Formats: sequence, structure tokens, C-alpha cells
Amino acid sequence: MAELLAAVDDSFFTDRTGGGCIQENKLFCPGWVADNYDRYVDPTLQHLVLVGSAVVAGFLIAFALGVFAHRHRFLQTPFLAGTGILYTIPSISFFFLLLPITGRGALTAIIALTAFNLQIIFRNMTNGLRNVPQNVTEAATGIGMTKSQVLWQVELPLAMPEIIAGLRIATVSTVALATLAVFANGGGLGTEIVSGSNITFKTGIIVAGSIAVIMAIVFDGMLLLAGKLLAPWKRVAQ
Amino acid sequence: MEAGGPVIPVPLAAFGLFGEAFNFVFSGTEAQTGGVTVGGPEQVLDLAARQLEVTLFALGVAIFLALPVGLWLGHRQKGEFLAVSAGNAGRAIPELALIALMAAAIGVGMVNLVVALAILGIPPILTNTYVGISQVDRASVEAARGMGMTELAIVRKVELPLAVPTIMGGVRTAAINIIATATIAPLAGILTLGDFIIARNVYGDAGVLAGAVLVAMMALALEASLAGIQWAMTSKGLKLERS
Amino acid sequence: MTAESVSASTVRFESVTKRYSGAESVAVEDLSFEVPAGEICVLVGPSGCGKTTALRMVNRTVEMTSGDILIGGNSVKEGDPARLRREIGYVIQQIGLFPHRTISQNIGTVPNLLGWDKERVAKRSAELLELIGLDPEYGDRYPTQLSGGQQQRVGVARALAVDPPVMLMDEPFGAIDPINRSRLQNEFLRLQAELRKTVLFVTHDVDEAIKMGDKVAVLKKGGQLAQFATPTELLMEPADDFVEDFVGSDRALKRLALMRVRDVNLWTAPLAQAGDPAEPVRTAVAAAEVPHALLVDGENRPQGWLSERDLAGERVPSTPDSLTEPLIEADSILRDGLAALLQSGSLYAAVVDHRGRLTGVLSVEIVSDFLASDKAAESELTAVERPHG
Repeated sequence: MAELLAAVDDSFFTDRTGGGCIQENKLFCPGWVADNYDRYVDPTLQHLVLVGSAVVAGFLIAFALGVFAHRHRFLQTPFLAGTGILYTIPSISFFFLLLPITGRGALTAIIALTAFNLQIIFRNMTNGLRNVPQNVTEAATGIGMTKSQVLWQVELPLAMPEIIAGLRIATVSTVALATLAVFANGGGLGTEIVSGSNITFKTGIIVAGSIAVIMAIVFDGMLLLAGKLLAPWKRVAQ
Repeated sequence: MEAGGPVIPVPLAAFGLFGEAFNFVFSGTEAQTGGVTVGGPEQVLDLAARQLEVTLFALGVAIFLALPVGLWLGHRQKGEFLAVSAGNAGRAIPELALIALMAAAIGVGMVNLVVALAILGIPPILTNTYVGISQVDRASVEAARGMGMTELAIVRKVELPLAVPTIMGGVRTAAINIIATATIAPLAGILTLGDFIIARNVYGDAGVLAGAVLVAMMALALEASLAGIQWAMTSKGLKLERS
Repeated sequence: MTAESVSASTVRFESVTKRYSGAESVAVEDLSFEVPAGEICVLVGPSGCGKTTALRMVNRTVEMTSGDILIGGNSVKEGDPARLRREIGYVIQQIGLFPHRTISQNIGTVPNLLGWDKERVAKRSAELLELIGLDPEYGDRYPTQLSGGQQQRVGVARALAVDPPVMLMDEPFGAIDPINRSRLQNEFLRLQAELRKTVLFVTHDVDEAIKMGDKVAVLKKGGQLAQFATPTELLMEPADDFVEDFVGSDRALKRLALMRVRDVNLWTAPLAQAGDPAEPVRTAVAAAEVPHALLVDGENRPQGWLSERDLAGERVPSTPDSLTEPLIEADSILRDGLAALLQSGSLYAAVVDHRGRLTGVLSVEIVSDFLASDKAAESELTAVERPHG
């Protein structure tokens, strides 16, 4: 792991106010964090880009697959199996399966994380569409909606809460998984866990891990809120 | 690539690296650091066995801890918040940070690694067991109670069989998480197939690619086996209902 | 039909056959009949008789195998099915309101599909809410906030939104409890008296068919038409054993469904208002058809029956001993009126119009007189035409 360790500069363990905290590698050194918070800005932004790109791309692709498989039901099983394989292949392995094609870098990480997402979003979307009550689509057709009007005006809005639920799972999982992008030279918060020093620097691990957890919670909350705003009929008292 | 020579298209170049990876697995290549031979069937099998061992061990611990709690909560229809938030929180844990922190704070070694991996496996099993059990039609449960079954018998003979697909869904998610994370186990001092991936300076790109392929195959094989187990465990009545 | 019938069209089935692919037998076989504009035609029969299939071929949610259906002389097979459906009201048993849209938006669905401007859609929604007797404030609610009966009314309003000449109703009241079903049936009949749509109505309940239909088409298994007749004809002269069986052995009683309470000669009871002198009321009671006096308010709305004790004093009291249970609506069918009477165990019931004002008193005797007269007529018919019956 010399390559990773090479990134460590000599001033890393000095020049800080934590007394002996860093030298003793205590569990958490607040003084060091206060001095070095700025080193987390770039990895955090990179992490946001990784997650944002992978979730948006995953959503767009899964959504298109979902609409397509809704029109042609026989495709649902193969799509589910295909995305299932992409989901099952561990991301870290996926990074390097792409190595001969896209090399190392953020793009490789984004592709792998996108591939991971597809299954979650596709499955939720398919379930959501399937759970639209049949009498509702029947009535929609019976009063003169075309197939695409039924889809866009009735089925997708009703499936939306489940699609958002899938998006939440995908987003939270991706935030956690994107820490592995460091192995593909994809940047992100993982750089502060693995190459921050050696991987035994506890404060660094805790700070980077915490930022990832907070990021996941914030994204989750935002999507939860968006889901509530977009589904006012779910909020009314029964 | 030689200047002026034909430009090798990417797929062919990729094929070249795959060829090297193939060599790496079946005959081994010289280490990047020089001298010794790395890779080869013996090391591959050794690391694969270690990865499987760690994975199954951690999965077993996770099932042992999460299943009874999920069954109990689901049967009592209590603790929904706990069971469901556990699943949500579990997803938010960055695997890398967890492994690194466990190794750094508690130390490297098999036991610590298994504990860390089991932590990742518990949430999906707990959540799915709870959801699976609590969603069993209450009429079936009432009927069982009415026929004089004890609570334990209700769980064993009615709720558990009906919840098998959901519970196994959780077990499969847990298994995928664990085997994926076991790939970075070398960071915690346990050498698995992930060593080929992480220690590129030793194994080279051929080793990295070989490791990636092997890990992917192993994960897919595990997933397929668990799907098979689920199929075998699901009662015929449920299968008919679904088709 | 009156001048209002301009908005209705005849519906004509011409040798309509439906064979589902892969099925051995036909679902609907060679079905021919015509529903005149502005009438309700009920398709009734046991399950699997193809009645719903027949209905759905009208708006092409099921495509017919052969034959044709003409609406106002035009084949439904011409043109785009979606456009056709927008011109045909459609109500189904499970209602199928859109859970994600407010009541107003639900009612405005077809107008929006037809590109009406916002203002016109809003105005129409408000009109229809009023028509089905829901407060305007319900417009902003979601379907889950309404009772089953209210949802079904909204379903009817949605179907009526663009004033379609034809309405298809597939067991529209099938999922509603009996009391509300009867109320919704009456409401719909009242609406229909105003709107005069051509309605095709599917039910498996022969009582509902007799109550709702101007015409009844009885279908048997395999989608064959067993009889197409008015409810009276159906009860008086079942075409064959199947129809007779299906209509049931209590045909005589079922005929009570053909009459409304307002159609029979109701009795009158002595009336009194609170504070009136009691003496003249006592005298009136002694001589009246109904030997009890009714307390009414200033608008002739019954407040209760006055007992002998109530009338023993100088003045008529404002709170009588017994309330006016049961209270029967003049629009309800005679069968329901009798049922209410029998259920309450009383001999007399006050009959009111839809504003709650007294129109007369129904007694068990009135009903039995009616049955006796009709029964005579029916047995005469049977003797002439069905010697072996």
C-alpha cells in the first residue's frame, strides 16, 4: 500500500494544538479537527459529486427501464435479473472490472455506483407501478385516458412514494459506498480514511466517517421531505 | 503501442489485460516488487477460502443475533420504530470507516473483523424479519391461536414459514454487504481476495483485475446459492400464490 | 321523452359476439337489442353470463369479435377508443377514483382531457358537486377522506362531467351497504329523471334490475340473451324456465319494486300543531282512516305521533310520546316502504317528500290491497298463457 501511504506528508502529525493526543493516536482529538477541518472540504465536495452523479444517473436509467418494462411486461424479469447482477457485484470489485475500459478515476467510481443503484430504484418503481390499484387504472382507461396519459397522470404519480422510497435507500447506500471510491482513485471521503495517514489514524477515520453519515442523513431527510411535498394525498387524515 | 502502428481498439486492449489476469490466476506472475511469484491457483484458493470463511462466519453471527429479535418483535407487533430505523441506520454506515475504525481502535484480527462484518449484516436481517413476521395475515395467526397452538408454535409453524421470502431477502442483502466488505478485510489484517485489489503495488494491474473478477464471481455465486436456499425453504403454497 | 332528451342517444347492439382468445366457449353470443335514448337498460344475469363483457364492448375496453354497437347510429368501432370513451360516462363498482387527486380534480378529469379551460372545469366541478348533494368544501378533499357512498356519488359525477349522452354503470352500487345502496339508487333515479341519459347498467341483483331498469336484459351463461323486456313484463311473463328461476319464486313480492310509495293511494291522518286545542283533534282521530294524530311543524314536517295521553290535556304538547319512526320517502319503492314498516313493527308510517314534508300515511293494509289486486291480474295472465305453469 505504499502508493496510498505516499500521499502522507511529514507535517501531518505535527503542528497541531492537541497536545499529545495525535502522537498517542487517541480515539478522537478535537484539537486536530479544529486545526484541519479545511482538509475535508475537497473530499466532501468530491463525495457529493460522486453520490449526486451516481444517484441521478441511476435514477434516470432505472426510470427509463421501469417505464419500458411497464409497457413490455415480459422484460421485467430479465431487467430485474440484470440489475440484480450489477447490484450483487461488490462495488470495489466493479471499479476494477472497469479498469481496462475506463481506467482509474471518478468516472469509473460513478459508473460502478450507478450500476449498484439501478436494482434498488428499478425494483421499487416496478413494485410501485404494480401496487397501483387495478380499479384506478381501469377507471382511467374507461373514461378515455390514453395509455401514456394513464402512465404519466395516474400510475407514476401513485407509484411516486415508492419510487422515492427506493431513491432514499439508493442514496443512503451510495453515500456509504462512495467512501470506497478511493481505491479507484475516485476521490471522496474515503481519501481521508485510507490515505489520510495510514489507516490507523482514528480521528481521521471518525471525522470522514461522520461526514459521510451526516451527508446520508441530510440527503435522506431531503428526499423524505420531497416525497411528502409531492404526495399531499398521503398526508390527509383518513 | 508503437508510434505509427495500428491503434489497438480498447476492447482488444482490455482483452489483453484479461489475458494477463487469467495467467495471474492459473499460473501466477512475478510480483511487482520483484523476486517472488504471486497469484496462482494455490494463493487464489487460499484467499477465496478465507473470504468465504469470514463471510459465512459473520453472516452466521448476524443471523444468530438478529433473527430471534426480529421474530420476537414481529410476533409481538412491537418495536417497529426500532426494527425499521435499524435498517435505515445500517445502510448509512460507511463500510470502509467501520472496518478501518475497528482495526485502528480495537485491533486487527479475525474476531474483530467478524464483529465488524456482523454489524453490517444485522440491520437488514432484523428489519426484514420484523416486517416479514408482522405482515403475516393476522387471520392466519388468530386461527392458529384459536386451534390451541402455543405462541412458540405459532411463530415456528405459521409466521416463520409465511415470512421466509422476506426474511431471506434480508439475509441476502446482508450477505452481499458482508462479502463486499470482506473484500477490504486486508485493511484489518485478514487476507482475502481483496488483497489482490488493494495491494496493487504487489500484484499489479493483472492481479487487481483478477481479484475483481474473482470477488464478483464469488458474490454472484453466494447470492445464487442463497436464492436457491430460499426457493427450497419457501412453502409450495406461497410459491403458487406468487405465480 | 321530453325536450331534455336531446343529450341522450340510442344504443344498439347488433349481433355482438365476443370470444376471448384461448377460451373454448363464447363470452357473449349474438347479442342484439336496442336501448332507446334516455332510458335505463339493466343487464342482469348470474356471474359468468357476460354482462360486464357486453357493457365493456360499448366503450371498447373490451373489443368485440364480431357484430357492431351503434351509439346514435354511429359504430363505436370507428375512430380512436380513447376519444370514444371520453364521450361515454363510466362508473365501476370499485369506483376507481384517483387517490392522488382532489374530488374537484377527479370530477374534472375528462373535461381536462378534452382541453377545457381551467375556469370552465372549475365551474363544472362545482355544478356537479351540487348536483350530487356534496358541500362545495368537499371539492378540495381527497377520496380517502370520503365515505364509500360519497365516493360513489363522486364517481357518478366524474362520469357525468362532460354531459355524455350515454352512461355505462358496472355494478355501481355493488360494494355499498344495503341501506346506503337503496339511498344511492333513489338518488340516481332522481338525477336520471332530470338528466335523461341513456344508461346501461350491469348488476347481478334482480331486485336492483327491476328497480332501476326501464328495460331489463336477462343474460344466461354463454352470453345469450334470455329475455329483453320491461320489468313488469319480466315479472309477469318470464320468457322461459331460466328467467323464471332467476327472477325467483317471490315474483309477486318483487312487483312491489315496480311501484313507488307515492304511486299508491296513501291514507291521511289527522294533523295537529303544537299548541293547538286538543279537543278537535280528539274528535278527528275518532273518525279518521288512521286512528292516530300526527304532530307537524309549520312547514308540515312530521314531528311525532300523538298518543291518547298526549291529547288528554287542553293543548297539543310540543313533545309527543313517540317519534315518527319509521319515516318513508315518497320516492322509495313500495318494497322498501313495506320493509321499513315491518321492521319497525308499527302499523302506520308517515310518508314525506324529499324536503321532509308530509304527503300521507302508509299502512300494511294499503300494501296488501295492492298485492291482492295485482296478484289477481297476474294469475289471470298465467292461466291464459301458461297452462302448465
